[in-house]
Amino acid sequence: MSERILLAIVVSLIGLLVGLGFFWNPELPQRLLPKAGMAAGGDFTLQSTSGPVALKDFRGKLVLVYFGYTYCPDICPTSLAATAAGLKLLDAAEAAQVAMIFVSVDPERDTPARLKEYAEFFHPAIVGVTGAPENLAEIAKRYGVFYARQKVDTAGGGYVVDHTSDTYVIGREGQLLSKIAHAAPPDEVAAEIRRRLK
Amino acid sequence: MKKFSLLLASLMVSAGALAAAADMVTVDEPYVRLAPPNAPATGAFMVIKNAGDKDVKVVKADNPASKVTELHTHLNENGVMKMRPVAAIDVKSKGEAVLKPGGLHVMMINLNAPMKEGDVVPITLTFDDGSSKKVDAKVVRPMAAGMPAMEHKH
Repeated sequence: MSERILLAIVVSLIGLLVGLGFFWNPELPQRLLPKAGMAAGGDFTLQSTSGPVALKDFRGKLVLVYFGYTYCPDICPTSLAATAAGLKLLDAAEAAQVAMIFVSVDPERDTPARLKEYAEFFHPAIVGVTGAPENLAEIAKRYGVFYARQKVDTAGGGYVVDHTSDTYVIGREGQLLSKIAHAAPPDEVAAEIRRRLK
Repeated sequence: MKKFSLLLASLMVSAGALAAAADMVTVDEPYVRLAPPNAPATGAFMVIKNAGDKDVKVVKADNPASKVTELHTHLNENGVMKMRPVAAIDVKSKGEAVLKPGGLHVMMINLNAPMKEGDVVPITLTFDDGSSKKVDAKVVRPMAAGMPAMEHKH
């Protein structure tokens, strides 16, 4: 008798699990581009004022990667200020395990020297890098980054660059883990970093 | 004489009805974001409130710190941020327009000289009826979006 009850419980539990598997579709708090899925990401090497910088150089650390440009009138400062404020919420032990790379998609105007000054204005830990256009295009494709020049006569140099403004979170082994949405508030930035540091 | 007083009266009536947009508008928390080194442009942000009975439009902005001043907004198209000039910023009757990072802003392009924190930039807003208003905007370091630009008076 008790065996039959046990069997009934087991069967209904299995039914519940199967049902959940089929119908339960929790809304994950991810902010991916529509239908893009998580891009492949992967290693890259670009140029800074102090020579080549490779993602590989940061193995063992969590790396935030942001693609932008220094002539960026509003979006980059907004996003970088939010991320920098998030980094400042970390304690020393946490901060020691986090690196950040600012990749300029505008190598024509952004020299490594410009980038260094620009990036450090937001946070001393941010490394500014750029590279050859074809190199940047290949990296952007792997990360799901979109950017395109847009002619604006009054902008410095005559153009602005439309671009995605997410911050990519790269794990200690170099794998692309997640994206932090444009201008996510500092506490969200810090929370995502802590989640990924665990 | 009678004609004159009639004229005077009608002038007064129309003056009341056609109160200048600048008189109806107040501007809260104006600030200019300190441009990062090497950035040739920056934005000014503020909340423009319209206490009047008519909608007003900000059609132009000017400031002495940059060569060009434009009204801009951002479009977020599938995660791609696009900055575009706008012809005017609408401020509805009894409403407000919020100029903030990532959205509407006064774009200051080709800065004449590097700014420093604490500098004050006088920004002149011109409205669709031709009236204008000068706003003193303080230069502050970039802040995360949603954070108060200056000390709030709660």
